[in-house]
Amino acid sequence: MNEIKKTYKNYVGGKYVRSESGKTFRIDLKNDFYEVPLTSRKDIRDAVVAAKKGYSNWQKLSPYNKTQVLYRLSEMLEGNFETYQQLLQDAGLTKAKASEDIHKAVDTIIWYAGMADKWEQMTGNLNPVAGDFFNISHQESLGVVFTLNSNNQSLNSLLLNMLPALTVGCAVISFNEENSVIALKLAEDINNSDLPGGALNIMSGKFELLIEDVSNHVEITAMAIYKEINNHDKKIIKENASKSLKRIFINPPTMGLEALFPFIETKTVWHPKGR
Amino acid sequence: MSSIKESKNILKWSDTVELVDNLRVDEVGLKERVASLATRSIKKDSKLQALNYIISMCDLTTLEGEDTEGKIGQMTAKAIRPDPSNDEVPSVAAVCVYPALVSKAKEMTRNSNVKVASVSSYFPSGQAPLESKILDTQFAIDQGADEIDIVINRKAFFEGDYRKMYDEIVALKEVCKSVHLKTILEVGELRTYENIKKASLISLAAGSDFIKTSTGKISNGSSREACYLMAKAVWDYKTVTGFKAGIKVAGGIRDSKDAIRYLVIVNEELGSEWLNPDYFRFGASSLVDDVLKQIKKLKTNAYQSSYYFPRG
Amino acid sequence: MNKWEYAESIESSSIVNIDKKYGIFIDGNFQSANSKKFIKTISPSTEEVLSSVTLGNEIDINSAVESAKEGLKIWSKISGTERAKYLFKLARLIQERSREFAVLETLDGGKPIKESRDFDLPQVAANFFYFAGWADKLDLSWNAKGLKPYGIIGQIIPWNFPLLMLSWKVAPALATGNVVILKPAESTPLTAILFAELCQEVGLPPGVFNLVTGDGTTGAALVKHPDISKIAFTGSTGVGKYIQKETADRDIGLTLELGGKAANIVFNDAAIDQAVEGVVNGIFFNQGHVCCAGSRLVLQEDIHDEFVTKLEKRMQSLRVGNPLDKNTDIGAINSKEQLDKITNLVNEGVKEGGSIFQTDCELPQNGFWFKPTLFTNAQPSYRISREEIFGPVLTTLTFRTPEEAIEISNNTEYGLSAGIWTEKGSKILWAADRLQAGVIWANTFNKFDPSSPFGGYKESGFGREGGRHGLLSYLKVQS
Repeated sequence: MNEIKKTYKNYVGGKYVRSESGKTFRIDLKNDFYEVPLTSRKDIRDAVVAAKKGYSNWQKLSPYNKTQVLYRLSEMLEGNFETYQQLLQDAGLTKAKASEDIHKAVDTIIWYAGMADKWEQMTGNLNPVAGDFFNISHQESLGVVFTLNSNNQSLNSLLLNMLPALTVGCAVISFNEENSVIALKLAEDINNSDLPGGALNIMSGKFELLIEDVSNHVEITAMAIYKEINNHDKKIIKENASKSLKRIFINPPTMGLEALFPFIETKTVWHPKGR
Repeated sequence: MSSIKESKNILKWSDTVELVDNLRVDEVGLKERVASLATRSIKKDSKLQALNYIISMCDLTTLEGEDTEGKIGQMTAKAIRPDPSNDEVPSVAAVCVYPALVSKAKEMTRNSNVKVASVSSYFPSGQAPLESKILDTQFAIDQGADEIDIVINRKAFFEGDYRKMYDEIVALKEVCKSVHLKTILEVGELRTYENIKKASLISLAAGSDFIKTSTGKISNGSSREACYLMAKAVWDYKTVTGFKAGIKVAGGIRDSKDAIRYLVIVNEELGSEWLNPDYFRFGASSLVDDVLKQIKKLKTNAYQSSYYFPRG
Repeated sequence: MNKWEYAESIESSSIVNIDKKYGIFIDGNFQSANSKKFIKTISPSTEEVLSSVTLGNEIDINSAVESAKEGLKIWSKISGTERAKYLFKLARLIQERSREFAVLETLDGGKPIKESRDFDLPQVAANFFYFAGWADKLDLSWNAKGLKPYGIIGQIIPWNFPLLMLSWKVAPALATGNVVILKPAESTPLTAILFAELCQEVGLPPGVFNLVTGDGTTGAALVKHPDISKIAFTGSTGVGKYIQKETADRDIGLTLELGGKAANIVFNDAAIDQAVEGVVNGIFFNQGHVCCAGSRLVLQEDIHDEFVTKLEKRMQSLRVGNPLDKNTDIGAINSKEQLDKITNLVNEGVKEGGSIFQTDCELPQNGFWFKPTLFTNAQPSYRISREEIFGPVLTTLTFRTPEEAIEISNNTEYGLSAGIWTEKGSKILWAADRLQAGVIWANTFNKFDPSSPFGGYKESGFGREGGRHGLLSYLKVQS
């Protein structure tokens, strides 16, 4: 084990920040060990403020611009291939598996990039109502979304937990536990990309310490739990969510059109047709 | 429609109502046209010509609580001779100050063609009774102001009392008589294009010589879209009454590139007859310095620094 | 009073490298053709010869088909994700070399650099990006079973938006797993040739994209070839009908995007100043060389004089001249042939009784030019009201009631596009329901997006390009 400790910070509002509590926790990988932030409730509060601003800025981009931002991200990941390969190997993958994981991750970003300017064509439609009315249903993104990511030591898995909500225009607070090292490394590429600050926030910690605060925070519109959690925790989340009708999704799909469903809201508009 | 003029260019209220009947403006279409005009590439001689126009059309402005006679002295010197190292650079059109500084400004510009403009009518908010606004304006004129910049009564406008807004301008024009009157719309508060067009036309019908975009005192100052819209109003007003009004843009025009884009709008929408200080002005302070740098760069082919030009 | 004249601001053409001669592009590289004939391509603004390109013959078309067959073998085996990556790389390269392409397009075709730079090229890149993003998710596009690519597609494109039309054809075709033989317009082959170079650069498998330049005979040979599974054509209605007839005895896919004589309807409750802009844009954009141009102003009678006065004033500010000057609004007419067509129809219009207004501008000595032209006092029966002029010429017709506006607008064999100008929402929707046009622009005009399906009703063609619906032009239902 190397004695040189590596420290990562959270990535919130387009900046790298320590936990306001000053606390960290340690993640041991094969060769190196890391100190990553032990996110506190105040950090969550700050992240939501940043995410709200990020949401507003991410919304301003046209669907085409969103695709451009995501395509560039895929190019950046490809450019940092060796860095990720080393990290994944340190996390326990073989060189070949690490390579495969990164290629899958790039393909995943590309899939979602090309989805950003198309999904509305798949989910929206004209409604053939009776009467002289034009009636259209289209979808909007929910707002600020909290994702609890799975613990897989996998770049692809991480992106599959971040991209669905982001692609449809939500701002994401992506919470990581055992895979925090990969997540916070990815934050560097996010930071160098054209993604507006606050659109994607990446944090590390122990969810059990924050379960009440997150599920009670009224300005988090939805929670997507990609990690396996026990029934007791599910109950707490859903009960707290009921106070503000927060939308809760347990183990939603990560690929396909279905992956987007949790993060969109349908708006139906009527207008008469007449001279 | 008949255009019965009681004074130089005042329409009766009933004719004014007719004038503001069709206020339809499509925001997206307007923004596209303005963006398209901004793609004009103004180079070489046409750029130098534009830069000189801009200087000659500037109202060098200081409207601060901390203004003193000393400050006015500095500014008027700069107004008369913006670049002492280059005699080809013209004087600006006017200086624009608060009423309390008008006599000093008048004294300092007496041997030049630079006019003295004063704000009045409880600039910038206009939240006061008409009587106070008349006093404010009369004072500035008595002190020697050549031009008066008033603000429209936005309270009346947003309460839907357009008649009151109109009557106030008519009354203030009475006070001004032959003194040139500019009416500030404060487009940043009016926001919608229909509002801006309505306020423009009412202001023109009530006797304004110029309509002006902004006070420069709120964060949303002038915009090229507002200027374009006001140009349309000025053109329509001329079509109906024959009267040629002017436009002043103020608030947030910081560099030559932006100012040139304004000139393009005026040039292509109204015509070169409007490209002189009698019909177009920039309310500015830091703009002059940027223009001077650009003029010098065209002559020397080197980027400049502002410390070469005197403070104003 | 001094006028403020804009000095020339010329975009340098030193960025382009045009070879003296070009062969055809098959098997992934440029080769000498079987045909030993060449055609000159000129710059219509100066009449200067830019290059000579092959006049492809039947044998060349056959070689291209053989090349396409090989390409299809590879292309049909790789995944959608891999296809996406090729298209994505092409999109990137187009973005990076935008300026070069824009200058080349302006030189070869005569359109203003402002347009090729700000409109054509960004749209071209966007089309490649958009369709790249469909290649790996075609299963989500339609909930219809059995949609499969056609195979080998022959694509024939016009001279008005050469590279843009290439992108509208090639991007969706490749994204959906087809391979392509492209025949660009006779007078504008150069940007297609440069595009072929990009295909080499990204390592597109040989035979996936094939290019055979030439004239009408080359196109006819392509249409007749028995191993083509589908023809996609954009061009005149006359040629479109010929193609439909020629392919009558075969089971072959066909999409046609043909001419138009679109009505731009202005109601008295329109935002007048913006309507003027929309009408000007509708007919003078790209010198009126636009299939969906708003070439008929259908104007409510009670605002006729006010509107026409504003329109003429606005037209007068249009700058006609050197397309490489960044301040030029109206460029050159694409060819002598087209100029003659326009001139004849305009003369007819005057003879028939229309009142003509043309802007006061100086036209360059060399090259092909036509002044922006407006006809008023025209009747629906005049040739200028019925025939596609394809030039900067607008014909005005008046109406009194909304129903009449619709009738006049639909009174044509064409049905590509229409414009509606009114601030009343319900009237827009009412009118849109009744207009026989594939693309309807309300309070705007000439708006295009890769995600927005485009195509005509009636004799303006059939099939759509762009958007989810546009994929159906390149995926056939297996029966």
